[in-house]
This record gives sequence, structure tokens and C-alpha cells, in this order.
Amino acid sequence: MQPIQDKDFDQLFKNAFEDAEITPSRDLWSSIESEIEPKKKRIIPVYWLSAAAVLLIATVGFLVYQQQEVKPKQFANNVAPKVVKPVIENESVKDSTKVVDLQTEKLEQILPVTSKPTDAVAKTTVKESIKPVEKLKVVTAPEMQKQEMVIAQVEKSKEDIKAKIEDAVSKVNQETILASTAAVVKTDEVIGDDDQAESKGIRNVGDVVNLIVNKVDKRKDKFIQFRTDDDDSSLSSINIGPFKFGKKRK
Amino acid sequence: MKLTRSYTIHDLMEGCKAGDRKMQEMLYKQTASKMLAVCMRYAKDRMEAEDVLQVGYIKVFQKIKEYRGDGSFEGWIRRVMVNTAIESYRKNLRSLNVVEIDEAYEQPSTGFDFGTLGMQDLMKVIQKLADGYRMVFNMYVIEGYSHKEIGETLGISEGASKSQLSRARAILKEEITKMEGFGYATYTG
Repeated sequence: MQPIQDKDFDQLFKNAFEDAEITPSRDLWSSIESEIEPKKKRIIPVYWLSAAAVLLIATVGFLVYQQQEVKPKQFANNVAPKVVKPVIENESVKDSTKVVDLQTEKLEQILPVTSKPTDAVAKTTVKESIKPVEKLKVVTAPEMQKQEMVIAQVEKSKEDIKAKIEDAVSKVNQETILASTAAVVKTDEVIGDDDQAESKGIRNVGDVVNLIVNKVDKRKDKFIQFRTDDDDSSLSSINIGPFKFGKKRK
Repeated sequence: MKLTRSYTIHDLMEGCKAGDRKMQEMLYKQTASKMLAVCMRYAKDRMEAEDVLQVGYIKVFQKIKEYRGDGSFEGWIRRVMVNTAIESYRKNLRSLNVVEIDEAYEQPSTGFDFGTLGMQDLMKVIQKLADGYRMVFNMYVIEGYSHKEIGETLGISEGASKSQLSRARAILKEEITKMEGFGYATYTG
């Protein structure tokens, strides 16, 4: 055999490799696919944004329409407690002192007559004596204060009565304050939601929707609400009149 | 048969240009084994070749819009693979100093009988070559680059390319002779 020429040698390799095929040993496609994935990921937010846009337009339109109908009702609900309650607080304190003063006068008259009083008798007499007074003088006093006054008058000695009256007055004060603060807390809840949502910052589409819905819809159950605690925002509640979906928010 | 196949590849090319994931997968499945054979020639082993293949296909799908239709689509993919392999070699550039390694070379007195040597055997001996030799041999002999192009691509002189090619040939002949059992392996490289 002749020593092979370079040209022939090269040609042998060329021929051998021309149609050579070697099957990949591992599934490379999945890793290739994941490498060219980013294109797909960019598409998703566009769908989300367009969906969010449609929702927003629908929300704003719906709420504008709804607010025109419901306006008077909403005022009655929201404004009344805020304004009226503090007024009651002040008036009630003044009234109660007046009432108690009047009652002590009455008691002075009654005391000598009923020298051997039982509690039951005292209660009934006092109650009877109060009722006209209250009806005349205190028209707006709430039920709570009426009860306090009854307790104050059950005690009979003059000295005690004055002390008790002051107790009662302060009790009434405390209790009305408690009541009014409770009312304040209730009204705050709606505002609190607002601040929370804003302070968290906007991290995703859900936050944007929540923020705008909060601005427009002041009800406790929003028209639409997204849960954005996790990375992914998911729909947590919908409230469209008769159709409601989702848990009540805390 | 060949016509239908190339027509199909044209379809796949259009689909890939449009970013169709199914078409991309089909193109991969239909061409991967051919392209792996290309990558294997440039790599030391199968693992390295498959890494190059993966990077190569990612490039194919990213750059497919640059394919203008001059030359066959398969040829274009093949060029992308070769370029990826060369890039990978240049990144690693493990050793160009192999040029200077003085390997004993003796022209075998007997000729070659390739009848019993398959592609797999030739692949083995090519992969055994030092990286620099392998690059030059592949680029010149199989891909048909000129020494000038090889020199520019690999950053070596034209003369270095020529000398590396002849050394690569000599080593290959030696190895094949050993494989065939004719040879008298009188030395170890």
C-alpha cells in the first residue's frame, strides 16, 4: 500500500463526518427552552396590565354611577356618628348633674316620711320621682345615664349621695368617653385601610388596583380587592352589589 | 426524500422566525444529532460538546432573524455551531503552547485501510488531539477555512496554522495506525 496523500487523508475525514449524526445523551431541549424563556415572561405583564386597565375602567365607571345614586345614604352613615356623638358626651354630663341636683331635693322631702325604707321601696319611690323630672328636663339623655342615676339615688344619706353623685358623674363621663372612642375607632377603620395600602408601597399590579379602588370606593367591602401579601397578587374579594365573593377583611 | 426534508426545514425556519415554540422544538429535534456530531469534533468529550450544542441552539433561536436565506438553513445552523465551538475554545484557550511540543513523528510505511474505521473511531482520534491541533484540523479539513482565516480567527499566524495542521495530520495518522493494529508504536507522545 502506498503512503496516503494529505488530500486523500483529508477527504476520508470529510466523507466520514459529512452526514455524521450523534444523538444527544441528555434532554437538552428543556434547558434550551428555559434559556430562551425570557421572551415569554415579558409577554405576561402586558396581559396583566391590560386586564388591570379594563378592570379599572369598569370600576371607576361603576362607582361613579353608583355614587350618584347612593350619595345621601352614605352621608347619613358616615357623617352622623362623627358629629353627633361628641355633642351627646358634653350635654349628658351637664344634664346629669342638673338632674341629680333636682333629685336630691326631692329625696330630702321624701326621706322623713319613709323612715324604715327597704331597698325595694326606695327603688320604686325614687324611680317614680325621677321619671317626671327626666321627662321634663332631660329629653336627650341616653339610657345608660338613666341607669347610672338610679344607682346613685338608691343610697340614702345626704353625704353619700353627694359623693355618689360625683362618682356617678365621673362614671358617666368615663363611660360616654369609652362609647365615643369606640365610635371613633369604627370610623377610623376605613381610613386605616387606606393608609396601610399606601404605606406598603406599590409592588405589583394588585397594589395599583387596590390603591385606586381604595381612593374611589370607601366602603369596607371594596368593589374589588387583591391580596398582595405574597409575591403574586391574587384576587381576594369582589363586591358588586348582590354578588359578593371573598372573605371579609379584618 | 431530501427535497421534502429541506422543505420541512424551511417551514421550521419560518416558524422559528415567528418565535413559535413548537417549531423551535421541532427544528431542534430534527437537527440536533447532526449538530452534535459537529460539536463533538471540536470538543474534548461528549459533555463539552453538548454544552456547546446547547449554547449554539440558543444563539440559533436568538439570531434566526439574521438568516437571510443565502445558503442552506442547515448550513447556517452548522456555522453557528462551529462559531460557538471556536468561541468556547478561545474563551478557555487552554494551551496554544502545544504548537511547540515536539512530538516524534514518523511516516508510517504502510497505507491506511479505512474500511474498518467508522466515524466513531475517527471522532475518537480527533478528540484526542491537543485543542489547538484539533481546531486547525477541523477548520481547515472539514469546514474548509483557509489558513489565513484560521490565523485571524484563532489569533495565530498563517504559518502557525499550517504547521499545526501538518502536525495534527501526522498525529492522526499515527493514532489510526495504532488502532488498525498495523503500526509499530515505537514511541509515546
